[in-house]
Amino acid sequence: MAISREAFGEQVLALVGSLHGVARRLTGNDADAEDLVAESVARAWKALDSLESDAAFRAWIFRILHNTFVSERRSASARPQCDPIDGENLDEAEPVFSIFEQMHQPFLLWFSNPEQEFLDRLLREDLERALATLPEHHRVVVILADLEEFDYREIADTLGVPLGTVRSRLARARGTLQKLLWEQAQARGLSGAAATGAAEGRVAGVPRAKSGKEA
Amino acid sequence: MTKHEIDCEKALQQIFQFIDHELGGDEREAMQRHLHTCKSCFSRAEFERRLKEKVGEMRQEQDAPEVVRSRISRLLKTF
Repeated sequence: MAISREAFGEQVLALVGSLHGVARRLTGNDADAEDLVAESVARAWKALDSLESDAAFRAWIFRILHNTFVSERRSASARPQCDPIDGENLDEAEPVFSIFEQMHQPFLLWFSNPEQEFLDRLLREDLERALATLPEHHRVVVILADLEEFDYREIADTLGVPLGTVRSRLARARGTLQKLLWEQAQARGLSGAAATGAAEGRVAGVPRAKSGKEA
Repeated sequence: MTKHEIDCEKALQQIFQFIDHELGGDEREAMQRHLHTCKSCFSRAEFERRLKEKVGEMRQEQDAPEVVRSRISRLLKTF
């Protein structure tokens, strides 16, 4: 597709904040994110013929950003990377972890609404840590779907995978994210207090009062 | 003609597509009807919707640092 240099520049500058935001979450630091965005923009300019339409610009340039990240990470690694898609099909039969199912127990409902209270007390730093800990192929679909608000078609185009893979990968990624949040809460003694807290009329996810004996 | 109905198992399979606005026409309506009658699935959908919202709030205001914007502007001038 023919697109002028000016139009290309305008589109890039309109998206540079999003590109940098995603790059930062992929690389984990500002310096690498800046380099990744610059390298991706340079590659996009060289690959302009592969842009099919103006409307496809966002998914197209994010696809280049993601491919650049993956290829640079592979070349930086001495060992070959495992293809996450191999594992994706293997764990298809495993149930997706759900905080809701952990907390939404009938006896707890007599006293409170623990899963909603868990959310009320969820800190941004908990979410940041869990997102950063997600495997890359899970992290990227959550970023695109929930932070960048891409629809499934755009995610499929960005990652070069079928729509069905987006659906299953996103479900699995959200399950993994919830498992990490659950484990963080347990490590801080929060979720473990859910049943006790609710039974005592307290809110699930709230730290117990310091007794001096607690870790 | 009977309307398309779904059970809890089907509703849970489609819950992420529902909160992501990826269910079309009949499927979306069937899900909405199910959620009107099933408290457990309704609560689950609310939980997933709120968690998605919380994750979305992590999106920083999307202005790149000035140093990045300047670098990209300079790069664009070289094309």
